[in-house]
This record gives sequence, structure tokens and C-alpha cells, in this order.
Amino acid sequence: MSERTRNIASVAVIAVMSVALLLLTSTQPATSDRVQQIGTRIKCPVCQGESIANSPSQMAEDMMDLVSERVSSGVPDQQIIDELLGSYTGAVLLDPPASGNTLVLWVAPVVALAVGIAMILWWRRHPGPSADDATAPGKSRTRLVIGGVALVLAFAGIVAVAANSLQDRPAAAAGAADIDEQDLSEVSNETMEAVIAANVEDPQINGMRLALAERYFDSGDYRSAFPHYLVVAEDPNATGAEAITALVRLGWMAYDGNGEVETATRLIDEALAIDPGSAVARYVRARVLWCGAGETDQAIETFEELLTDPELATETRTQIEADLEIANDGGGECP
Amino acid sequence: MTGRILRWAGLAVVGVTVVLAVVLASRFGSDPGLVDSPLIGKPAPEFTLAGLDGSEGASLSDLRGDIVVVNFFASWCLECRDEHDDLVAASESFGDQDVTFLQVAYQEAAAESLSYLAEAGASSTTRYLADPGSRTAIAYGVFGIPETFFIDPEGTVVGKIIGEADALILGATIDSIRNGEQPGQQITGDTQQRPDA
Repeated sequence: MSERTRNIASVAVIAVMSVALLLLTSTQPATSDRVQQIGTRIKCPVCQGESIANSPSQMAEDMMDLVSERVSSGVPDQQIIDELLGSYTGAVLLDPPASGNTLVLWVAPVVALAVGIAMILWWRRHPGPSADDATAPGKSRTRLVIGGVALVLAFAGIVAVAANSLQDRPAAAAGAADIDEQDLSEVSNETMEAVIAANVEDPQINGMRLALAERYFDSGDYRSAFPHYLVVAEDPNATGAEAITALVRLGWMAYDGNGEVETATRLIDEALAIDPGSAVARYVRARVLWCGAGETDQAIETFEELLTDPELATETRTQIEADLEIANDGGGECP
Repeated sequence: MTGRILRWAGLAVVGVTVVLAVVLASRFGSDPGLVDSPLIGKPAPEFTLAGLDGSEGASLSDLRGDIVVVNFFASWCLECRDEHDDLVAASESFGDQDVTFLQVAYQEAAAESLSYLAEAGASSTTRYLADPGSRTAIAYGVFGIPETFFIDPEGTVVGKIIGEADALILGATIDSIRNGEQPGQQITGDTQQRPDA
């Protein structure tokens, strides 16, 4: 076979192989191949670095079923992947996207290669002194220093970018909200009811229970306030102050809501048994007797006695002073 | 002189490499599910799911106008058991306040979920739903459970809790949605994958 014939044959073989290769690569893969191809690009979200195509987990199986269904419906590969990214972010891509923070992972090797080639070229164009040339030691040192600095800077750059990228992840540090630290003024009644219902065994919940009961009491909703005051009043773990508040409120509601003077004074007396000096309990008791039993003189006496206490809370003092003025006004009826 | 420069350059490279190794190693063992959900601020993926007991279930589009709380749970998930009472309390407290609680069984047969609910106590105001093929869990990008999503009355995902949710966090999140805020994502602890995953 002549040289020319051999050359023509070689060219023909290469041409045929190229066309075959082109045909092979341009043919749309079968549906099952497409599902498999997509599956190998998606990381199983509940596994450690496995694709959904290779993981035996139930989640991976479910995701492969979904991919298969979408492929059968004629949805393009990229759209299927984009749909999963819309739910999971790039965290489910086995190959990190060449954008955003993960761009560095694609660019760094190329930059490192370029720096390496540049250094080799620079080295070749600036050869060091030969063995018998001892006249240029300065050049050699400069070359080494520049090379070392470039290497260290390249490493430092990659570390800085990689560390920055990793720190962008949210930290699992929030922790469950602490009842004691929560600003209750911004919490709704429903939230407080839910927290109380979920923590009935926690003795520390009495603080929130009383705060909620006070909200109901202040708005005149005795029906909602009553069960919370009752729980605190009957709780052997409640503090003295908590029990007194609950008993005094229950007493006032018994009188104001149902006109039950006897029940009211009995409840308030229970509070006074805990702390006989409780100004609030003494004031409310005197008021119940004044309003419910017409005992104006006794009320005036108690009010005047309470006002001599220099440590009386300003709000209570203002209230007692107003009541005393009405009571003194010719035996005026309670407001 | 040349040898000294080489030694310093070598030491510097080793030092920087060690720092890089430490930074990367510190990420080992961290939960890969702790990523910001891309769904926050986007329309909630629609779903129509049957009840675990075969009842009518729920369709998200029918709940427009309500705040919808979607919690993914399973009987094998310890954190889900820990948060159960709080979810029940929150659901019953907000039940008549235009707030709907949906709990979707994750990677579990309906019979197992129902058995667990019978033992733990189901809420009368929560709808317990089946998710065959994990389609809803995938649409919501669930990595592990418990995960809880909050959807505002317009149908936008405005909040997500990763990990155990207590009544205070659930209630405070609903309160902030009622105030027109977007509470976003909160991480309260670990999530769990199915033991055989």
C-alpha cells in the first residue's frame, strides 16, 4: 500500500469515527438514562454525600420517583433540577454551582494553575546563576523571595475566601425561647395560653399565668381570669406574693362579679393569713365591706391607716386617697 | 541565606495549609440541613393531602386567609415527641383565631403515625395528613424533622423553625405574622432523619 493510500485510509477512519462519535453524543439519551443522569447530580438530602441515584434511603427513592415522573412528563432536565433547587438550594447539588460563594471552588484551581505556569515561565526567563557564576547572588535571592511570597499569598487568598464562604451558614444557636427572658408585653394572650398549657407542671409558669390573668382582669374578662387565679391560689408551690395576688383578685371578683361578700372576705382573709400586713389585701377587704356591706366607718379607718405607710405603692396610694375622699364625703357610696 | 528563605517560605505554606484544614475540619459533623430555606418570602408550594385516617384532609389553597402552620413529624423522631405537647397547646389556643395547624407525617406509614398520635394525644384542632411519596416534604425542602413552616394569609412562606418548637416560639412567630412581620428562619436545635436513611 502506497504512502498516499495509507494517508487517505487514515483520514477516512478518523472521519468515520468522528461522525460516529458526533452521532452518539447528539442522540437524546433514553428516559431511564436521563433519570439516572439527573439522579447522579442531586445529593440525597438525608445522606452523607451520596447521590439520590446511589442512595438506598427512602427519601432518595422518593426523589428518584419524582424525577422519573417529571422526565416522563417531558420536563427538561435543567428545569427538574431547578425545581429541586427552588426547595433545597444548591445544598442538594453534588457539583457546587459556579456562582456565588461556591464560585471560588471552580476558579481557585484555574487561578492556581495560571499562577504556577506564570511562575515557571518567569523562572525560565530569569534563570539563576550557573554553578560557575557566583557573581549574582542577589538575583537568586530576589527570585526566591518573590516566588515564596506569591505562593503564600495564593494560599492565604484561598483560605480567606473559603472561610468567609463557610461562615455564611446560619448557626444553630437560637435555642428554645426562655419563658423567664421573654418580654411578655409583646406576646399575645393566645401565645401565653399555649405556653401555660404546655408547661402546666412547671412551677415557674405561675408568673406567666398571673400576668395573663391580670390582662383578663384589667379588661373586665373575669371568666377568663378566674381559672388562672384559682390554679395559682391552690398551687402549694406558688410564692406567698403570687398566692396573695391570686386570692385578693378572686375575692374581688366574687364580690364584683357575683355580689358574694362573705366568699370575698373569706378569700381575702386567706391572703391576710399569709401576710397580715399586705396593704393590697387590707385595702380590697375594706373596699368589699364598704361597697358590699355598707361598713363605711371601718373602710375609712383602714384607708387612713394604710395611708400612714410610707412604703405604700404610689398606684395603691392614689386609689385609696380617691376612695377615702368619696367615703368621707358625707358617707358617700362606694363608686 | 537561600536555604533560610526556603525554610521560611515552606513553614508559611505549612501554616496556611494547617489553618485551611482546621477551618474545613470544623465543618465536619455539622448538620447539612442548616441552610437558609429558599422558600422564605416565596409563594408556598400548593398541596392537597388526605388525612392520615383517610379523611378529607386539607388543601392549602382552601386555607387562604388563614395563617397556616405546617409541621413535618414522625413517631420515630425524638424531637417531634418533645415538641408534641407544645404543638397541641398552640393549636388549641389559636384554633379559633384564623390559624390552622397541619401536621404532615414524614417517611412513615399512616398506621404508625396514627398509633403514635393515639398514644401521645392528638389535638382536636389540628389536621393530621399523609404525604405519599414525600412529595410535599420534597416541595418544602425538608432535610430532617421536625421542621415547621409558617404561611401567611396571602399564601407566602414567611417563617420556618428547624428543630424542636416550643409553645412560646410557635405563639411568638404567629404573633409576629399577625403584626405583618416576616419572622424568617429560626434554628432551635437538631433535626433527625429516619433511622434507616
